[in-house]
Amino acid sequence: MSDSRTQEVLYETEAALRLVDRGLDGLRDDEGAAADAPSTGRAASGTSTALTFEGGLNELPAILERANAQILAVLARLRETRAAIETTTLERIASTHEKIREVTSATEDAAINIMDACDRATQMVDDLDAIDAEPTPDRERASTVRASLRDELFVMMGALQFQDITSQQLAHASSVLVDMEQRLIEIARLFDTRLDVSGKMTAVPEAPDARTYDPNATVRDAESRQALADEIFTAVRSNAA
Amino acid sequence: MKFLVVDDSATMRRIVINSLQRIGFTDTVEAADGQEALARFDSSIRFVITDWNMPNMTGTDFTRALRARPDGAHVPVLMVTARSVKEDILTAMEAGVNNYIVKPFTPQVLKEKIDALLPAAAA
Repeated sequence: MSDSRTQEVLYETEAALRLVDRGLDGLRDDEGAAADAPSTGRAASGTSTALTFEGGLNELPAILERANAQILAVLARLRETRAAIETTTLERIASTHEKIREVTSATEDAAINIMDACDRATQMVDDLDAIDAEPTPDRERASTVRASLRDELFVMMGALQFQDITSQQLAHASSVLVDMEQRLIEIARLFDTRLDVSGKMTAVPEAPDARTYDPNATVRDAESRQALADEIFTAVRSNAA
Repeated sequence: MKFLVVDDSATMRRIVINSLQRIGFTDTVEAADGQEALARFDSSIRFVITDWNMPNMTGTDFTRALRARPDGAHVPVLMVTARSVKEDILTAMEAGVNNYIVKPFTPQVLKEKIDALLPAAAA
């Protein structure tokens, strides 16, 4: 038996036992209530307790019948939820892992690009200092170095575009987490319908507004994606012309 | 020529505005979403650069709303977005977008797209 199947059986067994336990609790409560009820006399009290106990035993098959029906309902819900979770796990979680890895990689790439540009810019500032220190500064060369310096600053700024894309990737990851959280709460409620998570989950964020991010946002293959956009625009325009 | 730059990311707005300044366009207005962009748009704006994914009103909804206005029917709209699947690009075209830039973009691509739309902006 696989680990996951073992867990499923454990969950199902636990759910069934809880229901039977609840039924037996109800039986005990009935007995307790009967015992605690004001008695009109020793004989009457004894008769009442005996009747309740006898009645409880008679009710046991019905309780077990109800428990069985509830267990079947719970199992059906579990199967549904499990199927939904499997889909989520296989598709959404996998893509979310990929997105998070891409965030790490994009952040690192951007940092490296910026650091490289910083190194080149620093070298250019040194070159400008050296030109200034010459007895007759070469203004033309200095002008070329300054233009290159501006280019490098621009490269640094452009590299910061990763922030917009990674924030969309993280928004997507956050929405998957919120969705999973809701599903887990649903499962928890299957085992205990009285479960109140509101007090324990005060910090649970809402899912990000789906309009604010693209689940497919990526920093990769920008050139080929731009080429596709250009191709589509050209094709549609030539068809329209 | 006045540009309206619409993006919910302040970083992206700065990058686009700095890129515009670098190619000689210094007159810019900013908006953080489509609703704000519609409120800021007037006939003095000759070029719109908008993101797609934004709160309150997306770039495509903003473009449709802009196209429905007499003063915005013909202004060039350049969409700059991370979305790049075919269906999205077609949706943007249907909304009235004149050209499309995929993020992350290079300043050269931005310049090319703007240059191509300048005659319409000047008209």
